Amino acid sequence: MTRAAIVVCWVMAIALALFLLAPLLVIAAASFSPTPVFDLPLTGASTHWYGKISRLDGFWPSLLLSLQIALFSTAISLVCGTLAAIAIARGKLPGAGIFATALVSPLMMPGLVLGIALLQGFRAIGFTAPWATLLVAHLVITLPYVARTMIAGLARFDFTLIEAARTLGCTYPGGVMRVMVPALAPSFLIAGLFSFLASFDNYPVSIFLADVRTKTLPIRMLQYIEEAPDPTLAALSTLILAGTVILLIVSDRVVGLHRMAGTSD
Amino acid sequence: MSEATPHLVVRGVSKRYGPTTVLDHIDLTIRRGELVTLLGPSGCGKTTLLRAIAGLAQPDTGKVELAGRNITNVPPHKRNVGVVFQSYALFPHLTVAGNVAFGLKVRGAARREIDAAVERALSLVKLGHLAGRRISALSGGQQQRVALARAIAVEPDVLLFDEALSALDRKLREEMQVELRRLLQDVKATAIFVTHDQDEALTMSDRVAVMNKGRIEQLAEPRELYLRPASLFALNFVGLSTRIPGTVLAADNGKVDVETKVGRMSALGNFQTGASVIVAARPEQLRLGEQGEANSAAGRVRSVVFQGSRTLVEVDAGAGESLLAELSGRDGAIPRVHDEIRLSWPVAETFAFPMEVQT
Repeated sequence: MTRAAIVVCWVMAIALALFLLAPLLVIAAASFSPTPVFDLPLTGASTHWYGKISRLDGFWPSLLLSLQIALFSTAISLVCGTLAAIAIARGKLPGAGIFATALVSPLMMPGLVLGIALLQGFRAIGFTAPWATLLVAHLVITLPYVARTMIAGLARFDFTLIEAARTLGCTYPGGVMRVMVPALAPSFLIAGLFSFLASFDNYPVSIFLADVRTKTLPIRMLQYIEEAPDPTLAALSTLILAGTVILLIVSDRVVGLHRMAGTSD
Repeated sequence: MSEATPHLVVRGVSKRYGPTTVLDHIDLTIRRGELVTLLGPSGCGKTTLLRAIAGLAQPDTGKVELAGRNITNVPPHKRNVGVVFQSYALFPHLTVAGNVAFGLKVRGAARREIDAAVERALSLVKLGHLAGRRISALSGGQQQRVALARAIAVEPDVLLFDEALSALDRKLREEMQVELRRLLQDVKATAIFVTHDQDEALTMSDRVAVMNKGRIEQLAEPRELYLRPASLFALNFVGLSTRIPGTVLAADNGKVDVETKVGRMSALGNFQTGASVIVAARPEQLRLGEQGEANSAAGRVRSVVFQGSRTLVEVDAGAGESLLAELSGRDGAIPRVHDEIRLSWPVAETFAFPMEVQT
């Protein structure tokens, strides 16, 4: 009976993994297709489409914009989210629980609703500079990832460590930098990674705030699909996928994926 | 003698958290090289006093002087104090040597100087062979030693121990008490221990400050503290005793006659006639039978506890009062449970304390 249950579990797990990974494999395969129309089985392999990526209309500005927004929003979120997490995790703040919930709530909000709300809100106060509105909107998206990870990390952090550092000759900020930051390095890395990825591939919020000249990469990619669906897009997707995998592998080497998933210490 | 000059002076230090007074005008003077324990129950203010000396808690009033310097408003990183925390607070991202070197690195000491100091500190706590280990690979006792080495390495003016031994198991703790005292005396350190463990206080310190409700009830050498407790609280907190309530019948020049439910007794103390007092004596003062210049009471033995060289005998003296005697083998026969016996103890070793108002 137990044996049967284990077999069923494994079959389900493998089926689920295949179901999740299959589209990614198809995309990767399609990117090497020698013909503009993707057809299985492949009749050969070509890197032709990879060469065409850089010639896509408006590709470079969009990539640059997405990277800028992702990097800046991640950096700001790391600082603000960590400070907020300290206030919440130390527990001296009245209503800390409410703040924590409020901070993390955008995670539970549908992106579309968030996008419309931000668009209306920014319009109402006359804040329409596209680059800046995108950055602020992405802060709303990335801050919860950082706050959640840092609150969890800080809950395990012994603040006596900072006091120890102070009695050993550190100022308070010095103690934070020399002791808390290194001790929380894994949390920072995880928070930064999730935050960066959440910003980089965000579509539903960005679409409301982008204009003709300010389009993030996901928006630009959807536009390509509508205009000319050829394997160039598959090649681009495969590159992004590869980049993400490399990022995850590096992080795994540094802190361990099981910690990133939050399943154990 | 320079040994006798005050090294650490706490004067009139008070601290309130909201409506609670945690420290109530504390005065404390410690000589160079002295080992002093702040002893008291949790919430008595001992840890807050330690934190005020370390600079981690700012007193509302009063003054702290260390090595001739007023440090009341000096931040902790400029005080030159060493603290060993209850949780040890070792830095998990550094090795043993990295932890010990931390204070010197922060102070910008030269590399060679740091290496020498780390080696010296680690050999002092006998951990030289573990310098390259990660903190998480150490046992509790080893972590305790690293914390000590880290605090000593910067050669602080005073070492502060906040319940530093309480996380160790009993046997290891008792070994560490003796070893730590010897080590601190070797390096001529001035140290303050905070503990609620009376054995630790008596073993480790030159003087013990018994604290209660934000005040120092008594500051005395361990022996004096035990033999001449200054208050009922000090009597209760350190060691065992027989305590019998009564009313003062007559008072004469530091001596009182007290009427109790188990008979009339004489005790040392200054009280008005009619005052409610508690008459107390340490268990080793009680002897079987009568003796001269002594108080005595009779009763039925309730329990006999054999403790090796001594035997603790508890006697029901009637009227809800009990006597506690610690008899050694020399006193002849040890009574058995239910025996009717008479115990006596010298008037000179009987104290009277004011009855504490119940709060």
